[in-house]
Parts: sequence; structure tokens; C-alpha cells
Amino acid sequence: MSIQIILALAIFVAAYVFIATEKVSRVLVALVGASLMVIIGATDDHGIFFSEETGVDWNVIFLLLGMMIIVGILQQSGVFEFLAIWAAKRAKGRPFVIMVMLVVITAVLSAFLDNVTTVLLIAPVTLLICERLGISPVPFLIAEVMSSNIGGAATLIGDPPNIIIASRGGLTFNDFIVNMAPIVAVLLVVFIGLCWVLFRKQLRYNADRVERVMALNEREAIRDVPLLIKSLIVLGLVLAGFILHSVIHLEPAVVALLGAGLLVLLTRLETRKVFADVEWETLLFFAGLFIMVGSLVNLGVIEMVGKAATEAVGTNFFGAATGLLFGSAVFSGIVDNIPYVATLAPLTNDLVQAGGPDAQPLWWALALGADLGGNATAIGASANVVVLGIAARNGHPISFWTFTKYGLIVTAVTVALCLPYLWLRYF
Amino acid sequence: MRASELQHPLPVVGRDTDAVEAARLIAVGNQPGLVIADATGKPSAVVSAVDVLGLLVPAYVLDDLALAGVMDEKAAEEVWAHASERTIGDLLDDKAVRIYTLLTVDADATILEVAAQMADARAQVAMVAGGSDPQFITLPVVVEAILTFCAKRTDG
Repeated sequence: MSIQIILALAIFVAAYVFIATEKVSRVLVALVGASLMVIIGATDDHGIFFSEETGVDWNVIFLLLGMMIIVGILQQSGVFEFLAIWAAKRAKGRPFVIMVMLVVITAVLSAFLDNVTTVLLIAPVTLLICERLGISPVPFLIAEVMSSNIGGAATLIGDPPNIIIASRGGLTFNDFIVNMAPIVAVLLVVFIGLCWVLFRKQLRYNADRVERVMALNEREAIRDVPLLIKSLIVLGLVLAGFILHSVIHLEPAVVALLGAGLLVLLTRLETRKVFADVEWETLLFFAGLFIMVGSLVNLGVIEMVGKAATEAVGTNFFGAATGLLFGSAVFSGIVDNIPYVATLAPLTNDLVQAGGPDAQPLWWALALGADLGGNATAIGASANVVVLGIAARNGHPISFWTFTKYGLIVTAVTVALCLPYLWLRYF
Repeated sequence: MRASELQHPLPVVGRDTDAVEAARLIAVGNQPGLVIADATGKPSAVVSAVDVLGLLVPAYVLDDLALAGVMDEKAAEEVWAHASERTIGDLLDDKAVRIYTLLTVDADATILEVAAQMADARAQVAMVAGGSDPQFITLPVVVEAILTFCAKRTDG
């Protein structure tokens, strides 16, 4: 093993540790790590900007950018607040029915929006509804963020790891719908049952306060009807573009960018508002990660590990899928699942290339493990951290262990249920 | 005109001061902000009046302004009833709120020096150095003093 490889591995591991401990900004860590890879000669400008195998995955970056612009404009319409209040009124103030409706709304939204955006939209209105009902919002917020992580697994655009997996594995939007959505639907039903078991004692029905919820006027939440109509039309066109990939032959990133451009043109919003919700730091974080992982690919480290993994797996792809599913779930509960999947994706690609169609389910095992594992702990997913922050700011702090004790149960049950799904469907 | 001629005492609040009391101090004294004392009781920071206004509004409404519209007058009254549950400490802990380090100016600083330092630091309030009891200069007082000079020049 050359000095260069040892240095590259040391940089990579150190970056992982810094990202996991969250002592330093993850963007800073990823960019410094990428810079060090360049300095030691593990990659170069051509490798970074123009290589599909070792460079920045522009499909991922621009798909995220396009969707961030579309969702940022759509959320200004107030449609999400409308839906949540409408649901609470339809439930006539019964806490568990409200929880079920909010869980389903969150999961469905998460399949099409990123999880952090979804919880940022749903958490404030949940706090309002719970304040009106005079009940603790804590069980609701925990249930929502978990359903967001579950629902996000259903589609290519629902969770950033899925975007990386789709790009590296050459998987389409329809591949995700066909392979991931069925199990996610089952998991959602099971999760609702778990909510009853875990939270029912905290959901006190107070008939006297129901009228306070019924007095909320959800129509006032819709601030701009033309904006809402234009945004929904464009979102519908973008989803149609994803689904019709085999007909129109446009990559998801191009479809999302075209949709974002069309929406900007139709709404004529100020540039400041158009880009207000673009998370530039997240995009830079992705770029830094791709450069670091690409450097390991460039030096042959991933190929070396891939060969060892291929030999170890042989033709036992169910065993490999089981290992990937549970390993990814455990790992994603401890560190951010984005760097994890960015690292595992080229490795999984090697296994799938060597194993052919029989090894294809490994992609789904990786996606399920990484997406669902985020529920395990309070720091397992970015959305969890965001919800804990909102809860604390509103005087309802949720401790790490309060979240994690529920998270471990939900993760264990949902991930365990994926195993028979993978076995029955693919092996 | 020197800083010592413009100085006056101001109420100093602490972490435990509740939102209603903080708002009352701003309303009664027409203050642009409030001076906050550190753990030892020494004035150390300034929070603007608009941030104190934000303290009166539930955080979830600030996170999602559309929610302000869905509540009727009765619901809003119930919201105000809970305003005293939040404190200046909540503002200090909120990363989204900008807490200004208290600017200190010399007692013999000219009005130009005071104005320049306050504009540079974007400070609504400055503390005047020296003296046994803390004395402060507020933005309206500085602006009023400058306008006096402007008026003299116009008259002349």
C-alpha cells in the first residue's frame, strides 16, 4: 500500500470522524478533506470536474438544486399549512386521528420533498394545533419526523441518499416507485400501529378545546392562489418528466432544472425569493464528499475493497443484502447517511456489476437500511436535528434519549420488516 | 457637545426578565432596545426592541408566518396570555437573534465620535465609560442632538 493511499485513507477517516462528531461544520470538513485529497495528488481538476466515476456527481447536485428551487417557491403558497389544519379539523380534534393524518401527510410530502423541508413545514402547524388542543406536541413531532424518514425512502427524490444511489446505480424514478414504494406503504401502516402502542397514553382528548381547533381558518394560510396553482402544475410536470424518463430520455437533474426555470419564469418572483431556500452549504457538502470518495476510487481503494467484498459474497446475494440492510441501518443511526451512502454507492456498484441482475436488490437493501436507519437516534438524520431544535425553541425540549428510545424501536421493527420483503421479492 | 452631556440611566434586564416586563420597559420608555446584564450584574449586551417584540409572538408563528393568519382575535388573545412564559434568556439562547455586544464610548467623546461608533457597530444603545452608576446613550438622543446642529446651520 503506497504512502499516498495511506494518506488518502487517513484524510477520509478523519473527515468521517469530524462529520460524525459534528464539532466542526460538515461543509468545512468535506471541503478541507477534498482540498487535502488534491494536495496529496489523489485527484486532479479533470478527475473532479469531468470524470463520471471519480468526480463531482453533477446529476445529484443539480437535481437537488432544481428541487430546492421548486419546493422553496411552492412552500410560499401556504398549501402545507392548509392541509395540516384541514386534517386536524376533519379529525374533530381527536389526538390519535390527528396524529395519523399528520403522519400520512408528512410521509406523502416527504416522498416528493426533502425531509428537512417537510418537517420545517409541518412542525410549526403541529405546534399550533397541539397548543389549541392543550396537549403536548412532543409525540406528534417525533411521529412526524419518523414518518418523514420512512416516506422519503419511497422515491428517487424523497431522500438525498436515494438520489446518490439512483445516479451511481443508473436507477430511474420508476425503479424506486416499483421497488421501494410498496414496502414503504407497508411500513407506514405498521408505523401507525407503533404510534398507537408508543404514544397513546400521551394523547389526551379534551372535548372542551376542540372548538379552538375548529375555529382555525385554514383558508387564510393560502397566501397566493395563483402561485399555488402555478407551483402545483410545474411540480406535476416535473414528476411526469421523472416518470416518463424512458420516453423523453431526460435525466432527473435536467427535468428538475427545467421545472425550476419554468416556475421562475411563470411566477416572476424576485431572485432573492427564488434562491432563499436553496441550501448552498448542502450542495457544497455533497461536492466535497464526491471529491473525497472519488479520490479513493481514483487510487483504486474502492476497487480493492469491492474485489474483496465480491469474493466474500460470492453468489450469496441474500446474505450480502442482509448485511447491507442492517449494517447501513446501524451506521446511519450513528453518522449522517449522506456520506455513508456516498462511500458505499461505488462499492455496491462494483458488487452489482460483478453479480449482474441477481445482485441488483443490493441497491434496495442499501437504500432501505440508510433511509430507515436515520430514525434510530436523535442525530441519525438531519430532519431529526431540525425538529429537536424547533421543539426546544417552542418550550417543548425533546432530549436525545427521549427521541432515541422511540427511534430504536421504530428502526428495529421497520428494518426487520424489510428483510422478508427483500427475501420474498428478490431471492 | 460631549457624550457625558447626553448620557442618562436605563433599566438593565437579566436572563430571568420575562417577555411582558421587557415589553413594558420598551413601551413606557420608548426604548430602541434593552440593555442586558451578565451573570455578575454588569451591563454587557443589547437586544433590539424588535427582537423583544418577537419574544411576544410564539416561535412557531415566527417559523411560519402563514399561521398568524389562521388564528382569530380570540386565539390571538390566548397567545398573549402565555407571553410571560418566555424570558430574555430565551432570546439570548436563540441563535437566530442577534445580540449586540454593548458598545462603550468615552465620556468626553464628541457627538461625531459617538455617532460614528454607533453607526459602525449598528448599536441602538451605547454605555458611557466611567462613573459609579452605568450611564447610557440611546440612538434617538444622538439623532436629536445631531438634528440640533443641522437646524442651527439651516437657521444660520
